[in-house]
Amino acid sequence: MNMLYVLIPLALMLLGVAVWAMIWAIRSGQFDDLESHGWSVVLDDDQKPPPHPDDDEDGEEDTL
Amino acid sequence: METTENTCFHCGEPIPDGISLYVLRDGEQKPVCCSGCQAVAELIFASGLGRYYQFRQDLGRKAEEDLQNDIAAWRGCDDRESLWGAELAEGRRDLLLQTEGIRCAACAWLIRSHMENKPGVQSVQVDTATGYTRIVWDPHKNRLSNLAEALMELGYKPHLPLASAEEQGRQEERRDSMKRLGVAGLGMMQVMMYAAGLYAGAAYGIGDAQRSFLEWVSLMVTLPVLLYSGRIFFSGAWRSIRAGRPGMDVPVALAISLAFIASCFNFFRGQGEVWFDSVVMFIFFLSLGRHIEMMLRHRNLQAGTALARLLPEWAERITAAGRETVPSSDLADGDRVLVRVGESFPADGLIRDGVTDVDEALLTGESRAIVRRSGEAVIAGTINLSQPVEVEVTASGQETTISSLGRLLLLAQSRRPASSGIPAWLVPVFIIAVLLIAGGTWAGWQLVDPDRAFSAMLSVLVASCPCALSLALPVVYAAASHRLLDEGILLTRGEALQALTRIDSVVFDKTGTLTRGVPEITRVEINPARSSFSAEQVIGIAAAIEASSAHPIARAFQQAVDESAPRLLARAENVTVHPACGLKGRVEGVQWKIGKADFAAPAGQVTGDDSIWLVDSQSWVARFELQDSLREDTQSTVALLRQEGMAITMLSGDSREAVDRIADRLEIEDRHARQSPEMKLEKLEAMRQGGQHVLMIGDGVNDAPVLAAADVSMTVKGGAELANSAADMILTSDSLGLVSKAIDTARRTRQLVRQNLTWAVIYNASVVPLAIFGMLKPWMAALGMSLSSLLVVANASRLVRRKP
Repeated sequence: MNMLYVLIPLALMLLGVAVWAMIWAIRSGQFDDLESHGWSVVLDDDQKPPPHPDDDEDGEEDTL
Repeated sequence: METTENTCFHCGEPIPDGISLYVLRDGEQKPVCCSGCQAVAELIFASGLGRYYQFRQDLGRKAEEDLQNDIAAWRGCDDRESLWGAELAEGRRDLLLQTEGIRCAACAWLIRSHMENKPGVQSVQVDTATGYTRIVWDPHKNRLSNLAEALMELGYKPHLPLASAEEQGRQEERRDSMKRLGVAGLGMMQVMMYAAGLYAGAAYGIGDAQRSFLEWVSLMVTLPVLLYSGRIFFSGAWRSIRAGRPGMDVPVALAISLAFIASCFNFFRGQGEVWFDSVVMFIFFLSLGRHIEMMLRHRNLQAGTALARLLPEWAERITAAGRETVPSSDLADGDRVLVRVGESFPADGLIRDGVTDVDEALLTGESRAIVRRSGEAVIAGTINLSQPVEVEVTASGQETTISSLGRLLLLAQSRRPASSGIPAWLVPVFIIAVLLIAGGTWAGWQLVDPDRAFSAMLSVLVASCPCALSLALPVVYAAASHRLLDEGILLTRGEALQALTRIDSVVFDKTGTLTRGVPEITRVEINPARSSFSAEQVIGIAAAIEASSAHPIARAFQQAVDESAPRLLARAENVTVHPACGLKGRVEGVQWKIGKADFAAPAGQVTGDDSIWLVDSQSWVARFELQDSLREDTQSTVALLRQEGMAITMLSGDSREAVDRIADRLEIEDRHARQSPEMKLEKLEAMRQGGQHVLMIGDGVNDAPVLAAADVSMTVKGGAELANSAADMILTSDSLGLVSKAIDTARRTRQLVRQNLTWAVIYNASVVPLAIFGMLKPWMAALGMSLSSLLVVANASRLVRRKP
């Protein structure tokens, strides 16, 4: 039964990590939009944008 | 969502004649309606984001054909730091843009994928529910206008970040609530685990050291949960006591704190039960209820945001150097602005140059356009219909008429009694009953067995926690709002459902609510002397001339042509607009005049009537009667409501004749014409004082204060933002039939609320006797509480599953 005194504090540390991780996730806005990210699974695929001639130009133009 | 051959591939609107624009999709040509939609669709394919079309649930917003003006206006704001968003570390900014046209999750994905590749953009988030796009970006690496342009390229319309502080506050509140819920949930899992050990120990034996260790750990986990997640109940209870109206928070805070203190007490003296698991479970379930309530509340638009959106964002200011586009909020008294046809006035002012027709329906309920000449006043938010005019600003921003309406709305809202859903008298009764029973228990045990008196009293307090009771209402309201949404009704205030079941009078606005709010041709009369013309022909000619006008009457002709003979549309040349009178133009070589009797009709004809005359150089050819027609199911809805015994009233800002015409058709006796918002409000207050429970249905800005003051209020599709923000329910489809559906759902909801409340009361009432006699074990309390809470939730979910 003495294992209790090791395992429970260990579990408490894990709990602390879990709470910290959850608060970090909420703060960084991961729970703000629960809908659209589910779609990225079906939407994001290996369809690459075709090479665009003025891609680089675009970048420079937009930068101040 | 797929489109057909005759509708635009991007926005789904019908493709006008003579337009043959296409985009290529997988080598297949898809038709689009305009170059704007074409540009958007091409950009989407070129960026490899074509899958958007496969997965979108709703069609896109019709794109603007020419973005140059909009982009130029945004360019002018590049240097305003106040618009860049909240400052973050390392000079980054957190920009919140309200974006028009976000319809579904596929839109959100499209925006994210497109925007995240732009230089200086760190992350993009789109909230599909509220339509906000949040961009974390670096102002040193990009410009504000480039971000706006990127959104516009995709066919969305970003608004100037005006009222973002409020939305920011709401997001903060959502996040806080989620954190509290999460902490309570994680804490609950831990404490339940230790509690399982303690229950097993109580049944099969456990060493004292182990038991007190488990209890100690439970205490250590419960304490932060109580202090962090439970804080809102204590502060809420304190606030309600200070306000002299003890709410549900009081018994909740009492039960939580007493159960915790009692458990600590028993733990430190080394004997008796501990209830830590019950405490964290209370907090978790109660936080869940609060979270659901908050999410419902946030659906409601804030009045401030809606106000800002009512006025046009941009104004064209005339200066010595020329014209510049500035945000409307920058306008000052004495500025000159140019207002084009179809735009709304950015500020209150006097017309300095030009004559025009103004659509003031939104503000006054008047269905006809009003003529405004040089020197006359125009009101911000109303729409300029026929001629570009120059306006001298006399009041802008907070000083405008519309803003004062907004203040009237806030006043009306604050006067409406806030209802927590639970009858106010119940709470003090509840608290007193609990305290009496607890005291009685203690006294009773003093006579029998003084040693057990204290612990018996404590278990009474634990058993009486109104956990299921506080969960009973929010979950039903959440389920009901879900179901209403399926039917096309957006619920913004949960308690409105309860009030809806008590309604005995219905007040309708006329223009835009009972009627469509746009005129329709109801009769075409051909001059007997010119009978060679057919009705289709004259409508075609009229529509051709009116094609260049933004006036609602022009739309009526356009619609008539679309319905009868789409191919007949001729082209008109040399069209001149005569504000307040009509138009002149040449169609197929013939000179025509169209307009009001005194402008178009030859002398000697009856004047002063409302019809529109079509005249050529010889004589009049046709006379059109236009009327604001009823919505399709207005008649049946009004009949249905009357059948249910509701008193029907009509309050309109429109003229007596227009009101009589509609009221007669609907057989509404109680009718009032020419009502200002203040008069409407007075009538409604009088009705309520007379003991009536009033449902108000409206759409215009002038209805907003009345909507806010009614027991329950609804707005119909196309209503003004400000009216929507005052309404409890927003009907999202064109049908008034939804009103009776809403009442149905409300009745069903009331039934479920009653079941839930009954169950919660039965549960508490049956557990308390156990506690009184000292037979309530902690595991029983924990089990009973979670089961009763789950039952309440399951019961509520029946509302969602049941399809009519």
